[in-house]
Amino acid sequence: MSAKTRERIGDLFSYLFMLVIFVFFAWPLLWLLSLALRTRKEVFLGVSRFIPKAPTLDNFAMILSSDKFLAYLWNALKLSCLSAVGCLIVALPAAYAFSRFRFRGKGAWMMALLSVQMISPLVIMVPLYRYMASIGLTDSHFGATMVYIALSVPMVTWILKGTIDGIPAALDEAAMIDGCNRFGVFLRVVLPLSTPGIASAFIIAVIGGWSQFLVPFLLITKESLTPIGVGIFQYAGTQNDSSIQLLAAACLVSVVPAIVAFLALQRLILGALTAGAVKG
Amino acid sequence: MTTAIATVAHAGALARRRQTRPRVAPWLLPLILVLGLFYLYPVFDVFRLALTRATLLGEEGGYTFATLTQTLARPEIPGILGVTAIFTLASVFSQQLFGLAIALVVVRGEKRRLFGTTIVRTTALIAWVVPGIAGGIIWKMLFNEAPFGGLNSVLRMLGATPVQWLSDPDLVMWSVVMSNVWRGTAFSMVVMYAALKAIDPVLYEAAAVDGASAPQRLFHVTLPQLRSAILVNMILITIQTLNTFDAIISLTGGGPGRSTEVLSLYTFNVVFRNYDLAGGAVLSILMLVISLGLALVYAAFLPKGEDR
Repeated sequence: MSAKTRERIGDLFSYLFMLVIFVFFAWPLLWLLSLALRTRKEVFLGVSRFIPKAPTLDNFAMILSSDKFLAYLWNALKLSCLSAVGCLIVALPAAYAFSRFRFRGKGAWMMALLSVQMISPLVIMVPLYRYMASIGLTDSHFGATMVYIALSVPMVTWILKGTIDGIPAALDEAAMIDGCNRFGVFLRVVLPLSTPGIASAFIIAVIGGWSQFLVPFLLITKESLTPIGVGIFQYAGTQNDSSIQLLAAACLVSVVPAIVAFLALQRLILGALTAGAVKG
Repeated sequence: MTTAIATVAHAGALARRRQTRPRVAPWLLPLILVLGLFYLYPVFDVFRLALTRATLLGEEGGYTFATLTQTLARPEIPGILGVTAIFTLASVFSQQLFGLAIALVVVRGEKRRLFGTTIVRTTALIAWVVPGIAGGIIWKMLFNEAPFGGLNSVLRMLGATPVQWLSDPDLVMWSVVMSNVWRGTAFSMVVMYAALKAIDPVLYEAAAVDGASAPQRLFHVTLPQLRSAILVNMILITIQTLNTFDAIISLTGGGPGRSTEVLSLYTFNVVFRNYDLAGGAVLSILMLVISLGLALVYAAFLPKGEDR
């Protein structure tokens, strides 16, 4: 068997494997889309109507016209964006210090930061729930935002440190010779140069916030303040088989923003993530 | 002369050191405050609460070791740990294997310019971005035994017998693992892909000169080179899997019976359904100890020194 035919056979197997992988990963979301586009009658016709005969957008219209869902989406957007901004404010100076300064115990600090990530949010929510209730931060977006920030800040700090490591320190020195102080360097030189890293860290934090369930589930009881992650869970609990097409539409509405945000910056995000994972 | 130069150089070094050694504290302060308030304090409090009889509603009572021993001696604990072990082992093993296989094929596909490589990679990543709760709801629709169940309706069309994905207690765990693998594999794929790209191509050229076959190249070049990446990845996904509970709560809620109630879900139920704060704190410590222990075990296998 020549090398060429062997490569051809290899290609054939690669295609087969890729097809299986594609079907496995795409099927759940395609099925969700298919259900969301069906009328109530067609839902019960199973896979024979995978492409609905009478596709309808009524389910989406129904979900998006309910004030409840609009509030869920708005709350999720608000919480995840505010917390991502807060996360950057906390993580950027620390990432700069970890990247540029030499100080005792730096390695230990970095490892400590990484091991914080190992602690399940559930572990901290057990005491935090009482603590937040006693200082009146339940049913408040501020309280939830603070916890979101704490949950995403270790990872974001690592990612940003990787980004800042990639900016030559000589630029800092040059700016300081020109009379800039450290903070000026950070603000005027390092921040503008790390925009791609900051953008991907921001999106990673936003997606993380969007998927939050535990924190808002415990800290927020008012429906008007509930974000989509909890909203969809509660909505699923009230639905039955005869309204599965509505649940599918609601689910799609809750998933699509995260997917779009990810796809928009896919390359940047993957670069930032793998830099951390391979080094870390 | 030389001493003079040395002195100047020394002074320069000192000046530089003074320059590169400004006060670190202000830069780290926000981070320390946030983590102190929301991680350090709660973790200390967990240890304290584990020694009380606190409930979510009432008094803590005095300090006692009774909660610790009583919680760990509950009759359902061995079952919960068994379920957790199966769920974690099966998920981690499949995600690692699957992630590596996809990464290998994607790298090969890119080299051979095969059609659809990017589509496959992106599809896997999209599943990864889906929030846990939504993932559970989506899979519940797929596993549904009604006509709109996305798996059984395909099986019926193919003439196969439908499967009781979520109601058969012997099968339900594998259904849950499958949904978790769907959501989690992309992470391993990304890590493995980056590690594969980082392997020095010279190694493959040398292997080709020595006449190594494809399986030999895989087992004697690729896998040894991936060793530390695989271990780091396993640590990360093990911890993620141990902490998973939103995808299970919306898929099975832990049932039927207790057949899919993993430790994190059980802890959640103990605290927020039974209001047993002290018991939940003991279980939280158990979770911490298990993830720490596993991380140490994996870390012991990491190559020492080298580039890490």
